[in-house]
Amino acid sequence: MVGLIVLGVLVLVVVMVVAAYNRLVELRNRYKNAFSQIDVQLKRRYDLIPNLVETAKGYLKHERQTLEAVIVARNQASTAAQRAAATPGEPSAMRDLAGAEIALGGALGRMFALTEAYPDLKSNTTMNQLSEELASTENKVAFARQAYNDAVMAYNTGREVFPVSILAGATGFAEARLFELERAVEREVVKVSFA
Amino acid sequence: MDFFEEQHRARQRTGWLIVLFSLAVCGTVIAVYAAVKVAIHSAWDVPFDQFPGKFWDGALFWTVAAYTVALIAAASLYKIRAVSASAESVVLGLGGRPVDPNAHDPYERRLLNVVEEMAIASGVPVPAVYVLPGEPAINALAVGLDVSRSAIAVTDGCLKLLSRDELQGVVAHEFSHLLNGDSRINLRLLGLVHGILVIGLLGSMLLRTLGRTNDSGKRSKSGGGALSAVLFVGACLYLIGSVGVFFARLIKAAVSRQRELLADASGVQFTRNPAGLAGALKKIGGLDRGSRLLAARAEEASHFYFSEGMGRFTALMSTHPPLAERIRFLDSTFQGEMPATLHSPVALEEEVPGVSAAVPGARGIAAQPRAVVASVGALSDQHIDYAQSLLARIPQRLRDSIREPWVARAVVLALLLDAKPETRAAQLKAVLALGDPQLADHVSRASTALRAAPAEARLPILDLALPALRRLSSAQYGELRAAVDRLIRADSRIGLFEYTLQCVLLRHLAAHFEPNRPEPARGPQIEVVGALSVLLSMLAYAGAPDPAEAARAFEAGRAQLSGDRFFPALLAREKLDLRALDRALGRLRDTAPRLRGQILGACVAAVATDGKVTIAEGELLRAVSDSLGCPMPPLLPGQHIGEEPAAPTARAG
Repeated sequence: MVGLIVLGVLVLVVVMVVAAYNRLVELRNRYKNAFSQIDVQLKRRYDLIPNLVETAKGYLKHERQTLEAVIVARNQASTAAQRAAATPGEPSAMRDLAGAEIALGGALGRMFALTEAYPDLKSNTTMNQLSEELASTENKVAFARQAYNDAVMAYNTGREVFPVSILAGATGFAEARLFELERAVEREVVKVSFA
Repeated sequence: MDFFEEQHRARQRTGWLIVLFSLAVCGTVIAVYAAVKVAIHSAWDVPFDQFPGKFWDGALFWTVAAYTVALIAAASLYKIRAVSASAESVVLGLGGRPVDPNAHDPYERRLLNVVEEMAIASGVPVPAVYVLPGEPAINALAVGLDVSRSAIAVTDGCLKLLSRDELQGVVAHEFSHLLNGDSRINLRLLGLVHGILVIGLLGSMLLRTLGRTNDSGKRSKSGGGALSAVLFVGACLYLIGSVGVFFARLIKAAVSRQRELLADASGVQFTRNPAGLAGALKKIGGLDRGSRLLAARAEEASHFYFSEGMGRFTALMSTHPPLAERIRFLDSTFQGEMPATLHSPVALEEEVPGVSAAVPGARGIAAQPRAVVASVGALSDQHIDYAQSLLARIPQRLRDSIREPWVARAVVLALLLDAKPETRAAQLKAVLALGDPQLADHVSRASTALRAAPAEARLPILDLALPALRRLSSAQYGELRAAVDRLIRADSRIGLFEYTLQCVLLRHLAAHFEPNRPEPARGPQIEVVGALSVLLSMLAYAGAPDPAEAARAFEAGRAQLSGDRFFPALLAREKLDLRALDRALGRLRDTAPRLRGQILGACVAAVATDGKVTIAEGELLRAVSDSLGCPMPPLLPGQHIGEEPAAPTARAG
């Protein structure tokens, strides 16, 4: 009889372990899905930027450096995004992406600061449309980023709760990293360009 | 096909399933008992000539039975819970990937368009759309507990090798599974069957671990005995499991096979185009890999597929009728030879927005209760044409961008903005107070875009927005709920459309975000008669401002309820509020399918006493039918079905 009770307890434990494991898989799927939403918007943003630069080129003839810096930053961010999309949540990939995104934001900020001095460019319809589109894409990125961060938070909390944490450690559910752009840094970079 | 009859039959089918399942459990128990008995005999060296006489050991049998049943029950319950929490986990388990909402890929775009049309035509929220990227075969599946939590997935082959008509046929087939409740049964079945498979799974797990330890090192002689014992247990479990596998296939096949023919018939009824579905089936026949899936977990969901997903040896185990039989059912001239299917993707036809369908000119739509009830869950090609024309009149930019969560959220809030400037200003101020200045800006811009869409597209636009809204995080969902609440309360009264939108939106989103939340207890449980009184009185007043006319509308509604079982009474207008309506709908949702069919008929009659339904009334009807769990297709302009032609009176709406 004792043997059967032990067996029963054992079965119960197995069922619980399987349940916890599946829950972790689901939470992980959720944040990975959330990242693909960010990825969609980032890609669109990277597609827009060359057009924007191309349009601006005609007017900003003497600002080649700034424009090139935007393209370089865009390419770096695009590479970082590809890497992050392959392994969403992986700390180093996410850190690189955040770094590249901040740099790109800074370069774009400098470019837009320059356009202030060129009224012709400011009134160009294509330029206006593109920067409008860019702004709305940035809003969407921010929104998708919030959803991703919420999902990562739920996952990280889920894997840290005690008995599950042992299972998570043993089965390779690593901590995922939030996608955070430190706003302060972003703003600072823009401010420097105004000076 | 009668939706309510089907729902009723679906419940009966569940009974049949339980019988088969019990047989499977009994078989497994006997097998386990036999194994335990043999083990005891060999372990304690009881001579086998004593075997027959001592085979029956009551105490041992009941202990074994108790533990086996407990194990099966635990595994089944666990799996049912898991798939109920997220039906999409089935699709994810097959390697599914959600279709990119911006779908630059023209094939994915076409798929999204076809699914959206079908959803609008049947009056349900657009399901999540997935592709199974690694699957070159032609197959598809629909999963979902109800229309709020459903997903449709197609294989890569299905996406690219089929023409638009064929794809539409496949999607219509899958929609019929969603609408008539097959998907729900299939999910339950998946969970149930998991219980009887679990012993076999344990066995194969043991054997696999054993194989690995055997490979990895030279074991000592002393460990040999223990090892062979484990080997014996593993093999026993595996053999016992095969009893489960046998019954699992039998159950899945028995439940699934005849449903497939029915879904084919419904698919043809929806599209009125047998050639499309038959074409898709012929392409499966002509493809060397047919519809067989590669995913490791494909067997588990074999009863979900559009066509046989696994290789089968016997007809008894087949989850689907033979391909040729299905084709002949659709195309009587079919001779049996399948044309070889080309492996290259089809050329895409240009997406032509459907403009052929009638565009409602008048504000009123004629409606006969019986016809409307008959159309629930059973749309026709006219509904699809209508959905196409409705979608064509929604600006393309809005249609594309509403697939993104950020835009979908703004559009839903914009739908709630009042036409009156002062109310509107108060509402926008309320949005601003939420602390996101960009949101208010975006909402007013979305509202400008909405003005270009026809008024009757308001609820369909909400249906289009739902897949994107399901991708919000829970925190974002909470914020959206708060924003909707603020907008509705901004003018301190709740309009009918506001109520309708809130009803539809929250019902479908809450099902997704708070699946385990019980229905909020709102006061004491009410009687069905009381609930009917509230519902019909509310609808009568909504359509008729004049008390005498309202009484007539109420009578018309009551007349639709058969028999002398229910005598609802017209309540005083002061006694009615939306909270009472909420409670009434909550009660009526739990009634039997046939009664719900009658209730819906009564609602249509109460709203359409003069045979006409305005857009606002149509929307309210949609909210009611939605709350009752009946997917009602949109009312068609100029729908003159029934005995008498509708009186040509127009009512201000």
